[in-house]
Amino acid sequence: MESTNFIMMFLDWLMSFDRKALILAASAIGAGLAMIAGIGPGIGQGFAAGKGAEAVARNPKGSKQSTMVMLLGAAVAETSGILALVVALILLFGNPLVNLEGSAIIIAFSALGAGFSMIAGIGPGIGQGYAAGKGTEAVGKRPKLQSAIVRTMFLGQAVAQTTGIYALIISLALMFANPLIGML
Amino acid sequence: MGAGGFGPKILFKITTPFFSAGEQVIIPVTETVVNTWIIMAVLILFAVMATRNLKKVPKGAQIVTEALVDGINGLTKQTMGEDKVGFAPYVGTLLLFVGISNIAGLFNVRPPTADVNTTMGLALMTFAMIHGFGIKSKGLGSYLKGFLEPMPFLLPLNIMGELATPISLSFRLFGNIVGGVIVMNLLYGALYSLSGAVFGLVGISAVVPVFQVIAAPLHVYFDLFAGLLQSFIFAMLTMVFVSIAMD
Repeated sequence: MESTNFIMMFLDWLMSFDRKALILAASAIGAGLAMIAGIGPGIGQGFAAGKGAEAVARNPKGSKQSTMVMLLGAAVAETSGILALVVALILLFGNPLVNLEGSAIIIAFSALGAGFSMIAGIGPGIGQGYAAGKGTEAVGKRPKLQSAIVRTMFLGQAVAQTTGIYALIISLALMFANPLIGML
Repeated sequence: MGAGGFGPKILFKITTPFFSAGEQVIIPVTETVVNTWIIMAVLILFAVMATRNLKKVPKGAQIVTEALVDGINGLTKQTMGEDKVGFAPYVGTLLLFVGISNIAGLFNVRPPTADVNTTMGLALMTFAMIHGFGIKSKGLGSYLKGFLEPMPFLLPLNIMGELATPISLSFRLFGNIVGGVIVMNLLYGALYSLSGAVFGLVGISAVVPVFQVIAAPLHVYFDLFAGLLQSFIFAMLTMVFVSIAMD
């Protein structure tokens, strides 16, 4: 049925595709959207690396401890990127939505939503990287306090991770325990 | 995720004599389980052989063993405090098992930690330790009151934060290792095709995948660097969370 409303025309065009093609197409976009989360760890780990270089220059004698703390903090800051990669890999290689029963457009948009959700990883990536940088700087100034500083840094980074985990839970729920199909 | 092309293969099935809902219960045994047994055998063999014939003045292999044990004890004391050195055997086992699992890719053995079941199991052990030792050392009343800090209405957020710990621990390890597995598989496939194309240009029909040696430096990054760093991170986070819960 012809419609002058652009959105209705777009949705009609979408529904003209084969069901599986629609879901797989949306999975492709979702996988790409998820990887936008790589922005966060990039910025955060860069900040940590910069602070690491500064700490080693200020106190070469503490360079072993500074480098160790920088690596530990950066590895934790990586988590958001890895969670986004897991969601993208699930959508590409272990797609749970393509054989699901239910309205094709709901399943397709769930795949898109799962990808969108992981963009939240930008925040924890930047925040944990900032914590890693400041921890490295502190250890550079006082290498003997390494274990106390690392404990506080890990605790703070774990709290900062929580919104990233919320995003992962929503993404996994949309892919594996989709509540929306049953609501139709 | 076992339905996808990169999940662990099912190696054999055990037919049990039990019946459930009219069907015989068949247990599929995957690569993950078999590779875990292999790593267990390697570690147990190493432990038995390294602790035989211990002499008061160490010679040869005993020096390596003593350095390893001293290193693990020192790391535990430094991270958790002098009084909690009793955790060192568990921390050492975690470091050795997860470390060897992560670099198993170098030996063409699919890492058991590339299966979310393994990493979730390890993370749940850490979760149980955090709360079990927290209750034991602080007492049940003080432990429960801790959830109402700093303000009572933050209780749901505190609970969500505690649940986030095993999820982030397991998915961080799983994601790193399975990401490496998939990238290396894709790379080997691409290099095989490249070898085939180049050989085809020269006119040789048999394919010798010479270009696959280019993958070697990437193994150093994905398997050695990322694998060992992630195992160290897992052990450090376990130690830090348990010691924070206990004081």
